[in-house]
Amino acid sequence: MTAQEAQGSIGPLNTVGHNVPRIDAYERVTGKATYTRDVRVPGMLYARVLRSPHPHARIRSIDVSRAESLAGVRAVVTHETHQYIYSSGSIAGGRQYSDAAKDITEHIRYMFDNPVRYVGQPVAAVAAVDRHVAEEALALIDIDWEELPFVIDLEEALEAGAPKIWPEGNLGLDFRNEARPMTRSVGDIAAGFRAADRVFEDRYTTAFVQDAQMEPRSALAEWHGDKVTIHTPTQGISNCRHDNARDLGLEDHQVQIVCKYMGGGFGDKNGSYYFDLIAAALAKEADAPVLLELTRKDDWLGTHGRWHTVQDFKVGVQQDGTVTAIQQTGYSGMGPYLRRSGGISGIEAYACPNSERVIYPVHTNRMVSGNFRAPSDPQGYFSIQSMMDDIAYEIGMDPVDFAKKNMLRPTEDVRFTNYMLEDCIDRGVELFDWQSRRRVEPGSDAGRIKRGAGFSFMMFRSGVGPSSAIVRVDSQEQYTLFVGVTDIGPGAKTTMALIAAEELGVPLSEVEVVWGDTDRCPYSVGESGSRTTTQTGYAVVQAAKDLKAQIAESGMPRRGEVLIASATPTPSTQGARRMCFGAHFVEVEANVQSGHVRITKYVAVHESGRILNPLPARDQIRGAALQGVGQALHEDLLYDPRNGHPLNAGYYGARHLTHLDAPEIEVEFIETDDGFGPYGAKTVGEAGIILGPAAVANAIYNAIGVRMKDLPITRQRILEALS
Amino acid sequence: MDGKTEKGRGLTRRDFLEGTGAALVVAGAAPKFAGAESSEEAANLQAAGTAPRTRIRLTVNGTEHRIEVEDRWTLNEVLRDQLELTGSKIGCNRGECGACTVLVDGEPTYSCSTLAVWMDGRAIETVEGLEQDDELTPLQQAFIDHDAAQCGFCTPGQLMAATALLERNASPNTQEVREALVGNLCRCSNYNAIVEAVLATARTGGAP
Repeated sequence: MTAQEAQGSIGPLNTVGHNVPRIDAYERVTGKATYTRDVRVPGMLYARVLRSPHPHARIRSIDVSRAESLAGVRAVVTHETHQYIYSSGSIAGGRQYSDAAKDITEHIRYMFDNPVRYVGQPVAAVAAVDRHVAEEALALIDIDWEELPFVIDLEEALEAGAPKIWPEGNLGLDFRNEARPMTRSVGDIAAGFRAADRVFEDRYTTAFVQDAQMEPRSALAEWHGDKVTIHTPTQGISNCRHDNARDLGLEDHQVQIVCKYMGGGFGDKNGSYYFDLIAAALAKEADAPVLLELTRKDDWLGTHGRWHTVQDFKVGVQQDGTVTAIQQTGYSGMGPYLRRSGGISGIEAYACPNSERVIYPVHTNRMVSGNFRAPSDPQGYFSIQSMMDDIAYEIGMDPVDFAKKNMLRPTEDVRFTNYMLEDCIDRGVELFDWQSRRRVEPGSDAGRIKRGAGFSFMMFRSGVGPSSAIVRVDSQEQYTLFVGVTDIGPGAKTTMALIAAEELGVPLSEVEVVWGDTDRCPYSVGESGSRTTTQTGYAVVQAAKDLKAQIAESGMPRRGEVLIASATPTPSTQGARRMCFGAHFVEVEANVQSGHVRITKYVAVHESGRILNPLPARDQIRGAALQGVGQALHEDLLYDPRNGHPLNAGYYGARHLTHLDAPEIEVEFIETDDGFGPYGAKTVGEAGIILGPAAVANAIYNAIGVRMKDLPITRQRILEALS
Repeated sequence: MDGKTEKGRGLTRRDFLEGTGAALVVAGAAPKFAGAESSEEAANLQAAGTAPRTRIRLTVNGTEHRIEVEDRWTLNEVLRDQLELTGSKIGCNRGECGACTVLVDGEPTYSCSTLAVWMDGRAIETVEGLEQDDELTPLQQAFIDHDAAQCGFCTPGQLMAATALLERNASPNTQEVREALVGNLCRCSNYNAIVEAVLATARTGGAP
């Protein structure tokens, strides 16, 4: 299908494809939206967590007697009282725990561990009548520490003689407890380099980026006999329930997860986390509901962010610009626990017949790394597409032409449900006016303020898969949709209602949505992997079709009757890759005296299939692109190597983007319908963050003529590179 | 709390209440403590009993409250925990993110970094006070129309800061909006849409 055909064949449907305000927009602008900490339960206690002040230390003894005797303290839990193992994991892929891995693994993630392995690791928790008393009690817990040698730097952790974080060493263990890297090998790498006219080698690094969602994590746990209700900001209530149940030794039906509103997700909150378990433990001990509130510092150091990386590349190229070999060796800093894979993607977007990738997840005594929006991608795309941009200029090619010569395209062996990458790039070239904004000679502007342009391209999985939905209609002609989604920001609840209204052929206002509560909703895959629209949305289509068929057969329900339809489809693309595509074009203005970089134009062109609700879709891309800008220019977590302490935890220290730092992002979608997903919709949420760092870095190179190989590209680094 | 036993076990709620005394801590307008059914929470809140307390009078969204507060309570804690106005959020509790922004005598103020005792005699406006007689303000409506709330957690703070801006400058330009809202972070990074909503409000007459 070509873009023209696709665009010609697609337009708004009855409800889908029009700008529709979120069905809960009123709650969001009036303060009525109920986030976890806004829930009030009678007799509720408040909890605080004591955290390790050491990067690596053993607890010789812990004495909580003074804390327990403080007036108002109701429960104290430590590693001596509770040995829960958290987040056995139920989402697919990576090396995360599964039921089997939980039994097998040598590196057990305890809710409270001894020894502790990073500054900020939970050590104990207190429930008290108010948060101030709980905080006072933390200071009364006496611990006799045995400090252990620690290592903060990723490369130092791999040196012989480095302090061992685990007895087996500092390489992450795989599912079989083997310290083997993740590898991907295509073709014959040696032959690829033999065929090359020139070989380029370089090293790129990327920094840790905290997810830093605005709502700090919390958990409100309340026991009713042997059943526990946990209000918690989760990206997936179904998986969260399943994980918490397994971690607590309960059956799924003994755990109710409630998450009505969530103040941002961005990754890895699709299962349980230790704070859910701490709240549950304290609530059991105190025999009262307990609200655990993480402070911002708790959240910053005690959860996770995107893994930092070191990446070495060797790329072989022929004189005509054909890439013949790509070799990548990567090291991902995971902190002391392998919460997620540590993957680094990007080279698979090239057609190069000979490639080899070897990624080592490495343990350090930094905080834990985990998923952040497109977990493996921005750090990988930044590196490989900076590398390729560099090579293009070295051999005298326009980076766009070089990309189009080497990017992955459909072949007999590599089938796509549709392929829109070239369309995205071509449209971006036109919208951005690439030819006039790009400096053919990088760094050629005269004066201290120099302009330049850069671009990057990507494809990102937009899979299909199982999820469930239930639709009901009663004799009042009220339609009710039951979906196990939460709304972390993209508007899943509204999207599900739109799809139901479209398929049922009724106005949106006639569809009521029940969401965010495992006692009321069927399984949903969870708001991670950008799968809710494509998977749960498709289940909504199928359930609505079933309900329509029932109505056609037996008529609308009469007084007191209801008709109910449910669906759990398991669609398949029959081996074809279903991807979304995108290209970002950035122009920057770099001040070579101050090192300051300002983005003067940013164009993002995406193909995400059919766009179901244009405004929120656009803002997913705009927001993600800006997060990518933050990763490119600002965000990092610095450690003092002498004592292993983080130095800049928090929004201010990590220099998060403010209103004044945020340029306008221009977004255009090329809409298609490949016949899969709900009405051809593909993923949107994660796609937008992948390209920012690469496009910004390439624009900076084009402006100043010096390649910036380390993220974030700070003023200091620019000045050092220019001096 | 002499009745406390090892590891917090074996202590019933009744023991606890008897140990602390179920004294009411707040008189007057604080609704949470007015009824007999809430005396238990009142007791909980005063359990430590050591924190100094001060009686203050403040007006919140037009209603006057007389309330006894612990001197360590922030304005945000009084709004959220005592007056049950949970619209203003705690994102950082240290004056970085602005999710807790409310208006104090019309000025945008971080309620997380403002002690309640400083608020004696002041007029507070929160996001709950914007809607009047079931009618949203033009700014609230513009936030809906421009999809300015993604996760929505920063939205109450953005709304209050923007309300204050439009009160003093009915037709700000883009840069003025960005400057006025610079203290309100949005990790969804929905900055473009927020600014568009504020500018659209200004274009339609200027009243927030």
